[in-house]
Amino acid sequence: MLNVMHSNATETRSVYVHVPFCAHRCPYCNFTLIAGRPDLHEAYLDAIELELSRLPDVLEIDTLFFGGGTPTELNCQQLDRLFSIFQKKFQLIDGAEFSIEANPKDITSGLLEVIKRHGVNRVSLGAQSFDNQKLKVLGRDHQAIHIHQAMELLVPKVDSVSLDLIFGTHGESLETWHADLNQAIDLKPQHLSTYGLTYEKGTAYWKSLQSGALELTDEEVERNMYEHAIDHLTGVGFEHYEVSNFARPGFRCVHNQIYWTGKAFHAFGPGAARFVNGVREVNHRSTTKYLNDVLAGKSAVGEREELSPIDRARERLVFGLRRLEGVCIETLEEEVGFTVSEICGNEIDQLESRGLLQNQAGHIKLTRSGLLVSDSIWPRILVPNDG
Amino acid sequence: MNLKNIRNFCIIAHIDHGKSTLADRLLEYTGTVTKREMKEQLLDDMELERERGITIKARTVSMQYKHGNESYELNLIDTPGHVDFQYEVSRSLACGEGALLLVDAFQGIEAQTVANAYNAMDQELHIIPVINKIDLTHARVDEIVEEIEQTLMMGEDEIQKVSAKAGLGIDELLDAVIGAIPPPEGDVDEPLQAMVFDSHYDEYRGVITYVRVMNGTIKKGQKIRFIGTESNHEVLELGQFAPQQRPCDELHAGQVGYLICNIKSLELVNIGDTVSTANNSAEPLEGYQPPKRMVYCGLYPSDGQDFKELRDALERLAINDPSFEFEPETSDALGFGFRCGFLGLLHMEIVQQRLEQESDIDLVQTAPNVTYELTLRNGETKEIHRPQEVPDSGDIEEFRQPIVKVNFVVPADYIGAVMKLCQDRRGVQKATEYLSPTRTMITYELPLAEVIYDLHDKLKSATRGYGTMDYEVIGYFPADLVRMDILVNGKKVDALSVICDRNDADRRGRAVCKKLKEEIDRHMFEVAVQAAIGSRVIARETVRALRKNVTAKCYGGDISRKRKLWAKQREGKKRMKSIGSVDIPQKAFMAVLDTGAEKR
Ligand SMILES: Nc1nc2c(ncn2[C@@H]2O[C@H](COP(=O)(O)OP(=O)(O)OP(=O)(O)O)[C@@H](O)[C@H]2O)c(=O)[nH]1
Ligand code: SF4
Ligand SMILES: [Mg+2]
Repeated sequence: MLNVMHSNATETRSVYVHVPFCAHRCPYCNFTLIAGRPDLHEAYLDAIELELSRLPDVLEIDTLFFGGGTPTELNCQQLDRLFSIFQKKFQLIDGAEFSIEANPKDITSGLLEVIKRHGVNRVSLGAQSFDNQKLKVLGRDHQAIHIHQAMELLVPKVDSVSLDLIFGTHGESLETWHADLNQAIDLKPQHLSTYGLTYEKGTAYWKSLQSGALELTDEEVERNMYEHAIDHLTGVGFEHYEVSNFARPGFRCVHNQIYWTGKAFHAFGPGAARFVNGVREVNHRSTTKYLNDVLAGKSAVGEREELSPIDRARERLVFGLRRLEGVCIETLEEEVGFTVSEICGNEIDQLESRGLLQNQAGHIKLTRSGLLVSDSIWPRILVPNDG
Repeated sequence: MNLKNIRNFCIIAHIDHGKSTLADRLLEYTGTVTKREMKEQLLDDMELERERGITIKARTVSMQYKHGNESYELNLIDTPGHVDFQYEVSRSLACGEGALLLVDAFQGIEAQTVANAYNAMDQELHIIPVINKIDLTHARVDEIVEEIEQTLMMGEDEIQKVSAKAGLGIDELLDAVIGAIPPPEGDVDEPLQAMVFDSHYDEYRGVITYVRVMNGTIKKGQKIRFIGTESNHEVLELGQFAPQQRPCDELHAGQVGYLICNIKSLELVNIGDTVSTANNSAEPLEGYQPPKRMVYCGLYPSDGQDFKELRDALERLAINDPSFEFEPETSDALGFGFRCGFLGLLHMEIVQQRLEQESDIDLVQTAPNVTYELTLRNGETKEIHRPQEVPDSGDIEEFRQPIVKVNFVVPADYIGAVMKLCQDRRGVQKATEYLSPTRTMITYELPLAEVIYDLHDKLKSATRGYGTMDYEVIGYFPADLVRMDILVNGKKVDALSVICDRNDADRRGRAVCKKLKEEIDRHMFEVAVQAAIGSRVIARETVRALRKNVTAKCYGGDISRKRKLWAKQREGKKRMKSIGSVDIPQKAFMAVLDTGAEKR
């Protein structure tokens, strides 16, 4: 694992790559992706290569993350080529973190051979649940058995394996959720991410919700599930280090922490968002638009935004607080060049007096009650009252 | 122009009976406006008038018309129909010798028709009843003739039948205007006496003063004197409206027109004042009652917005609308803002809309209230424009509220429904009059506060839209009133206090708390809403705390989206006021108007 971070503020030492393909679109998913179009894979690889070629030199990096979509939707040759493209441009330092997201059904010995050869040392598996009924409601194409098979192959070979789990699906009970957590723990992953199901506009689920075919899970039930996950997982030795992420000591995802601590990162592929030199850019979200433009020699960028220093500071505080260890005020103030009261007036004090934040010797972090309603806290910091 | 060739008249009617459309036709038939320039309700040229399809400000036009061998000058005033702007009608009536009283051929006589007709009679104007919209397939011309005969005591031979829209009967109407409306009296050689009946502010030219010359002549370059304000000015330009300003050299007795005198503020020109010459002052004419503000409300900038900006915006607006008034006030809950007085709720809505359109301000508006009167134990009397000013009940000798006389005109089938509405509001029935076999006018005395907020809406729904009403204040009368306070998390929010009848307090307290519970979003903590009279809590509701509100995913690509989303949520809250860290949305301030009527 990475011990020394070489990043100072101006250097960009992380890379995200978006692979926008999935076999089909899950009914709750609103990610940037194009389902069932393997015919576009080669064009995508060409485009990525072109997009990358526009960077000047070979760069040294600490983390490389292939996310999606489903990166393993590419076949082994294609993945091989994708990884090679990046290895030509980026030099992973010793102990770098190299992650990919994967679908349980795609984990084969062939795949394992490719990823090992390229040095992938972290795999995040979209397990979601071990309850076949729940998996069906989620529209997933795998069953519990596929997760077991995948883990059998991965755990001995890969340094860090993470499982994604979803809770709060239609009609789900606390017992189902408890069983999911236990089965996950039994498979000995180094890392777990738990997500409460959300209904996003534009998804099939959203429509079902509007039509009444699906119902929102009761707030109280959802709260119990979330708290149960926290208590249960920390009880068996996981560290709860971010709102929805848990890790065995030493196995936190380094790449994601780059985001949450406001550090810079490159990004490639459709819909990918980068943050370099204080400027945030998002590539074209439509995969076809991205492919057409990049292959025609045009820019991949669809949106660009440069935050004012104070807005950056606010954002930095919010994402810092989403990490359970919180924020050291002195460090933050030094880094962003504003005092906390310049950033958000007396909000912090107010939140503290309501028991939503705690301040221990200049270190502020969410309390449990604050964590549970944290989305109501962020707006107060991002747009403080007197701002 | 010879006096006997001048006719001055206004068009009056219930709202929407077609006054402005008739004005269109008159402009067209007299050739004042060419067919090419014509558009529907041409005189309603303010943006808000066109948006809402109603007349807000009275407009004056001079038309030249050849009738037989004679040339005539016809000065018409198109008046607004809405009750809030009734005072414009009264002023217009004083400028003419006649009135065209329009009656919709389908709807017939309505409350406002009666009110306007009586007003015109009081001023001894010659009334020409005009049945309009005879083109309608459902026109009930014969029945309406009967209603007019019965209600207004006028004969069928006096009644004109027209369609303003289709242009039917317009020539005959013009004949009647010339034949029946008396020419103005007055003497061109007498000292100058001109009535100021309106004014508006022009950015480039200053105040435009509208006058009806009663006696004498005004000439360009002349030195004139406003008798009331005792100020002298030189007439830089004068003219008539055609319908745009058309300069001329003089205006003489009997004519209607405008004066421009390089006056920089509307405050320097009082409506109802008399203009005379600077050296040879005549007697002042009988002026008008200044318009009376019926409702008051507080206007405050939303959180994070500027008080000064709001003040500037109000000042700009007041330049063109002297009928609304404002003065600074402070509220413990809302901070610095203004108490504003309006002619009615429509007027209030219009002012608010203009403020938001013409300047970039989000407003928090408190619930409107009427003016009350108090006599204190120490003998002092007070006018109360806001509930916060009501002292402890121990100090009050007598609490008085404005009472209005309300005329309802309703189809006979709905009499019961209207009586129920009025009884629920402590109304006292005064009279019932049958306008025709199927239409009845019912008169009640009611507290203004019970009338002004929602009675019109309630009447419409109780009578399927057929009932109409009109009201006028008759005075202040003692009542058993109390101030009800609202507490949010134990803290009194002064801007939410209301004055209500003691017997209603419990029910209203419950209704208001319930409504507030709906309007206030759930917070990260529990929010208690209470209603109290003095120290006695009469109702309570609780807004449960949020239990879970966490976004699970937030990675590189989501960060800017999430930030924007959260920032937007907060912007949404800007149209609110934070009171003890409870975000209270604008709508909640209106919640105190909830009367709990369903439960009556
Ligand atoms: N069919 C028909 N419709 C008419 C006639 N005259 C007016 N209207 C319609 O009645 C509606 C109201 O007309 P307006 O001229 O704005 O009425 P108003 O009396 O000036 O209204 P306020 O100024 O708001 O009181 C409009 O939709 C007109 O088109 C008519 O003779 N026949
Ligand atoms: S596999 Fe993942 S990215 Fe693909 S559609 Fe399903 S949820 Fe979305
Ligand atoms: Mg009109």
